[in-house]
Amino acid sequence: MNPVSRGIRNAFRNTSRTFSIVIILGLSIGLALAMLVADQSVNNKINTVKASVGNTITVTPAGFSRFSSVNNSLTTSQLAPLSKLANVTGVEESFTDRLITIGSNTNLPFGNTKSSATTSLSSPVKLKAKAGRRFFYVGGGGANFSPANFSLPITFLATNNPNQINTGNLAIVSGKMINANLDDNQALVSQAMATKNNLKVGSTFTAYSTTLSVEGIFSNSTQSANNTVVVSLPTGQAISNKSGVVTSAVVYVNSLDNLASVTNAVKNKLGSAADVTSSQQQANQTVAPLDSVKSISLYSLIGAVIAGSLIILLTMVMIVRERTREIGVIKAIGASNGRISLQFMSEAVTLTLMGAVVGLIFAILAASPITHTLVNNSATSNRQFGFGGPGAAFRAAGPRFISGGRGAGGFLRDNFTNIHAAVGWSVLGFGLLSAIVIAVIGSAGVAYFISKIRPAVVMRTE
Amino acid sequence: MLTVKDLKKSYKSGDVTVAAVNGISLSLKEGQFASIVGRSGSGKSTLLSLLGALDKPSSGQIFVDNQDITQLHDKDLIKYRCKTIGFVFQSYNLVPNLTALENVMLPMEFGGISKEDRHSRASLLLDQVGLSADKQTRKPARLSGGEQQRVAIARALANKPKLILADEPTGNLDSQTGTMIFDLLHNLSKSQNTTIIVVTHDNEIAGKTDKTFKLSDGKLITKKS
Ligand SMILES: Nc1ncnc2c1ncn2[C@@H]1O[C@H](COP(=O)(O)OP(=O)(O)OP(=O)(O)O)[C@@H](O)[C@H]1O
Ligand SMILES: [Mg+2]
Repeated sequence: MNPVSRGIRNAFRNTSRTFSIVIILGLSIGLALAMLVADQSVNNKINTVKASVGNTITVTPAGFSRFSSVNNSLTTSQLAPLSKLANVTGVEESFTDRLITIGSNTNLPFGNTKSSATTSLSSPVKLKAKAGRRFFYVGGGGANFSPANFSLPITFLATNNPNQINTGNLAIVSGKMINANLDDNQALVSQAMATKNNLKVGSTFTAYSTTLSVEGIFSNSTQSANNTVVVSLPTGQAISNKSGVVTSAVVYVNSLDNLASVTNAVKNKLGSAADVTSSQQQANQTVAPLDSVKSISLYSLIGAVIAGSLIILLTMVMIVRERTREIGVIKAIGASNGRISLQFMSEAVTLTLMGAVVGLIFAILAASPITHTLVNNSATSNRQFGFGGPGAAFRAAGPRFISGGRGAGGFLRDNFTNIHAAVGWSVLGFGLLSAIVIAVIGSAGVAYFISKIRPAVVMRTE
Repeated sequence: MLTVKDLKKSYKSGDVTVAAVNGISLSLKEGQFASIVGRSGSGKSTLLSLLGALDKPSSGQIFVDNQDITQLHDKDLIKYRCKTIGFVFQSYNLVPNLTALENVMLPMEFGGISKEDRHSRASLLLDQVGLSADKQTRKPARLSGGEQQRVAIARALANKPKLILADEPTGNLDSQTGTMIFDLLHNLSKSQNTTIIVVTHDNEIAGKTDKTFKLSDGKLITKKS
């Protein structure tokens, strides 16, 4: 027997009390661990999101709105200096517009879709609606909605970097890639568009009253890409009669470290003519709601550790008071304060370690539900980031979209579904560490009470 | 061996100061068996706790082998309690969660005796006080009062103390068992040449000791040699 083994044995002296203390302690340690897991998984996600957005800067005309795209725009000559900035690896310029199908019904219950730009193509995208609702959407459940003679406006994308679209979720399945620099009236269309309009490689169609021929057909699974016609930037600018006009540009930067400085340089070059947003800013916006989850979980973690320490401290104070006489006896037969404190510390550590085991089990069971509850609550309070809400069908697909980039909404939605709460080794280690910290804090207070007990108490009969 | 000079101890409770021990002087030779008698509240237990260094006196000196223990520092006091003194209490005061054997080994652990020696010495001592082997591994709750007091005596002897202090060791026992416990202590003092001081209410027991100190209101009144 030594103080440590006596402490361990004493931990089981009063089984029903030991049981309840271990359970309470286990719950608070378990909560701490579950919060740690939540914190870690959210942190991982934030880092992945930040890493995945890439080193790009989006430039759009100041006050640009997708619905009045061409009114307010930048020009190729304005953007020319950007590619010469230090650390810039490339500038992708594009011009987007919406084309109305010739002869289609433009007087619809949800708004006028009149536009001067027309095409002979019909959209392959079918609108859907739920009964009694005024919202229309693409994809998902619900009945097909087809007013007489209706076609969704078609997205017209002219880009100086059509190769970029090929690296995304988009692949040429027949014909070939268009030449980005030639004004040669060649176009790329989606498989869905080709099927809907009976097009093959070499077929022709009209846009802005100009005849274009199909150079290549690409496959894609998104409705937005399916509803898009891609041409070279010179072709697009020429046939739309908007010489030199660019509706958005993406500046590629060689490394994440230079992103901020290049963003400032681009802002200086373009002044008030353009809105400049770096992908990092977008990512920060995206993960903002997750940051609040992070702080909730951090505070809960600290709170749970403090609660655990208090529980064990009060328990040990209670035990010491209860064993005042016994402590007096062993003092009277020659034990030092340090030795007695060591014995009680060992008892406290035993109780907390058992609590940690219960806590770990609790954490394994609860980490996932707690993480998801936290994240989902923050999701509902940040619903403005949601993607695919009412009117999405009318959103013209921008160049970032078709080239595989995704809006903030898309990222966030992934965050909510893909956060994996897992109990790993680090959590196990932390559980052990927090248990020991809790036990040491708990028993340190007890050492004081032990030193206050006078051995003379043993002379008094109970 | 033991010399006490003008020992005083007073307790303050509220405005009243109680002089529990009020100027006691006495001395004992090695191997003497002494008893302390007196009415309840006369200061017997207080005197014993001062001799055993469980409490500090208000004034006075206690010489044990020519060393004044009232001048010792905490560390040396712990050593004094551990090595020089053996205590036996009226209510046994065994550690309830330890077996009889472990209770006897406890002071040896504090005294730094090796593990192997502790065990063999503890069971030898328990044999000597007459606790059979099957009872040595029992916890106190499963032993009779007389058996518990035997264990307590074995524990008091564990570190071969020079001075054994017993506060009414037979007070909770029937007279037959009390006499057996007393005889046990008596034999010890003779065979081991250990100095023993016993507080008792039993005049018959007091009559058998070498020396009796009679206490009244914290003072020694008569002395019988
Ligand atoms: N810790 C204390 N605080 C205050 N007064 C005390 C304390 N300990 C003892 N006393 C007082 O000191 C006096 C002597 O007490 P003590 O316990 O020494 O008596 P005793 O002779 O052992 O009595 P008994 O035969 O009943 O055990 C009593 O009046 C008691 O009330
Ligand atoms: Mg008494």
